[in-house]
Amino acid sequence: MAYNIGSSVLDISETAGGMALLLLRTSHRIARAAFDWTELKRNMYKMAVKSTPIVVITALFVGAIAVIQAAPTVQRYGAYGLIGWGAGFATLRELGPLLTALMISGRVGANNTAELATMVVTEQLDALRILAIDPLSFLIAPRIISIVATLFIATLYADALSLIGAGIASNAMLGVEWGVYLNGLTSGLLTFGDVAHGLIKSLAFGLMIAVASCYFGLAVKGGAPGVGRAVNAGVVASATGVFILDYFVSFVIG
Amino acid sequence: MIELKGVHKSFTEPVLRGVDLQVPKGCLYGLIGPAASGKSVLIKHIVGLIRPDKGRVIIDGHDLTSMSELDLQDFRKRFGIAFQNNALFDHLTVAENIAFPLRRLYKEMTEDQIRERVADRLKAVSLQGFEDRSPPSLSGGQKRRVGVARATVASPPILLYDEPAAGLDPVTSQKIFDLLKAEQGNATVLMVSSDVDRLLTVTDRVGMMVRGRVIFDGTTDEAKTSNNPYVRQFIHGLTEGPL
Repeated sequence: MAYNIGSSVLDISETAGGMALLLLRTSHRIARAAFDWTELKRNMYKMAVKSTPIVVITALFVGAIAVIQAAPTVQRYGAYGLIGWGAGFATLRELGPLLTALMISGRVGANNTAELATMVVTEQLDALRILAIDPLSFLIAPRIISIVATLFIATLYADALSLIGAGIASNAMLGVEWGVYLNGLTSGLLTFGDVAHGLIKSLAFGLMIAVASCYFGLAVKGGAPGVGRAVNAGVVASATGVFILDYFVSFVIG
Repeated sequence: MIELKGVHKSFTEPVLRGVDLQVPKGCLYGLIGPAASGKSVLIKHIVGLIRPDKGRVIIDGHDLTSMSELDLQDFRKRFGIAFQNNALFDHLTVAENIAFPLRRLYKEMTEDQIRERVADRLKAVSLQGFEDRSPPSLSGGQKRRVGVARATVASPPILLYDEPAAGLDPVTSQKIFDLLKAEQGNATVLMVSSDVDRLLTVTDRVGMMVRGRVIFDGTTDEAKTSNNPYVRQFIHGLTEGPL
């Protein structure tokens, strides 16, 4: 048992160290703007634009779910005037960034890992290095920037759509007038700090998903079956990292 | 000239166990050997993708083992390589794949010049009209030919081919080997292949690797008439022998 625990600790340390090194080396290139702009545009389209439909649908339902769960308590205490604030507080600070991150991790992160892992096993990465192209500048930096930007932008409109979904659910299920709902949102209980709280989280989550998905893609071993394992490991690591970061970011910025 | 001196490399176990090899300038050199003898790992040492644990890799008088990664990146422009898995970029068209080295390495070339050169390469590999096709839509033989076109588009002085006919039917295999011979020009070529019969129709010299060592190095005729038991068994496809 001690061996298994020790072995797991070593594996986790190796992964964390590898991800940190990848982030450091890529940050250096991003800071110098030493990355491929064509790849950046291609990845932004693939990740940000093509994720829009799924984020829209998810966001609408997230807001509605929050209201459904709060409905019994709201009805019991007659707190209809607070439902706008409640939906806003939960969405902006937590549900919006967290659930959007998990959606992006599953859609964008998994695809990113699969693409990079396939490039490794089919020697496309070696082909780039032979052509004197630095894979970190050409492939990884554009992907990290794209994933962070995608999650930030997605969180912005996911927050808005979640609040709309919550409003629709409040009106339909609890009979809360739109005016009452909007008054709860804008009465001053919610501040820009709540919005910023969620957006800071989205940046942290985006970085976590980007680095984890790239790391596991590049570290693939074992041919085609290894690609599947890499995707699985990348998604699990991204999700775990998002939850851990959520705790620390919430703790630090309050 | 390609020179390897006492090259050793281990991963979880030894792969190269003191390889000594010389490929003369302008030679078409065939490297043969059973599976897992270290041939593909050797090719990656030649282009500096892998560094040896011991020994030296010398290309045209330059010692790759003492070069920094930055210097190696620049030095790799001398190589054209066609990989065993083709390594075509799936998100690019055939024409964009072939043009890729020119766009990256020769920024002074105009788009018209690049287009002309790509058209020339496609004609050489008998793939005219395939410009806008994507790699996943190609057959195995077509992918190989695109790989050859990309490897030769910048006319590099050293060409490396890793199993150029793997998985292809006999007719297509022979066409690929004939194409590689025709495309050699003045380049130094190192070709790894298990298709010994067809390989020996195009090579000047042959080397054989067994368990991480070069156990034979000679002309094609010397290989065909060699009394080395490993070489005899492998070249003639004998079931009895030390392999």
